[in-house]
Amino acid sequence: MPTLDGGLRIEFEDESDWRLLGGVIDDAVSCDRTLAERLGASVGGPEVADDWLEFVVPELERSFEAGLARVGRALKSARLDAAGVAGFLWIRRADALHWYGALNQARLTLEEIHRFGSSEDVDVEDLPPSRRAPFLRSQFYCAVQSLLLEHAMG
Amino acid sequence: MTATETITTTRDATAIDLPWNVVVHDDPVNLMGYVTLVLMKVLGYPEQQAMALMMEVHQAGKSVVWSGQRERAEFHAHQLQAHQLKTTLEKSR
Repeated sequence: MPTLDGGLRIEFEDESDWRLLGGVIDDAVSCDRTLAERLGASVGGPEVADDWLEFVVPELERSFEAGLARVGRALKSARLDAAGVAGFLWIRRADALHWYGALNQARLTLEEIHRFGSSEDVDVEDLPPSRRAPFLRSQFYCAVQSLLLEHAMG
Repeated sequence: MTATETITTTRDATAIDLPWNVVVHDDPVNLMGYVTLVLMKVLGYPEQQAMALMMEVHQAGKSVVWSGQRERAEFHAHQLQAHQLKTTLEKSR
């Protein structure tokens, strides 16, 4: 739900809703190789790659970790306020990019692990249970990202 | 006794440094609206130009989004990766 100050308000009905969005943190770090390593590994030829791995990748790692930590704190605080049941999560416009980034980290990592490809080509019914849940989480994160883009990041 | 003379010669060579390309690659995760927004924010492009480049990424699989001096190219690639876009650097041929 868009807010008057250009942010977003997400309504949680019960504990399972909190768990679902809370999964973003675990999903984002569920791959052996960090997102920064994955991005850095393919930056270019040897002329660039060594310096990139030494100087840029650690900085990206710190930045991505900080983004996740910030979102994790906001989630924890909102969940405490709601005592884990029905409640709201407010995403201010100033924080929208951090939220988008955390959701993106989770989706990029799920894609790295499960290789779903374009969601339009995926039939959920054909997915085995081990892939169905992560796919549906990725789709849920994507829906929140779309709302953020539409209402809080333009 | 003979005098020794030292002759020093210098030679200048000038070559044009080839530009470096910043290339953004398509992936099944990043949303088209987000890619457009990032190209506008990081490279300062107007919306129409950013959208055209985003469409090239989407349809052709990749697009050269900036080209120029190496140091600047590295800076832009760093910024684009910080926004989680799959970005590579390559020297123009």
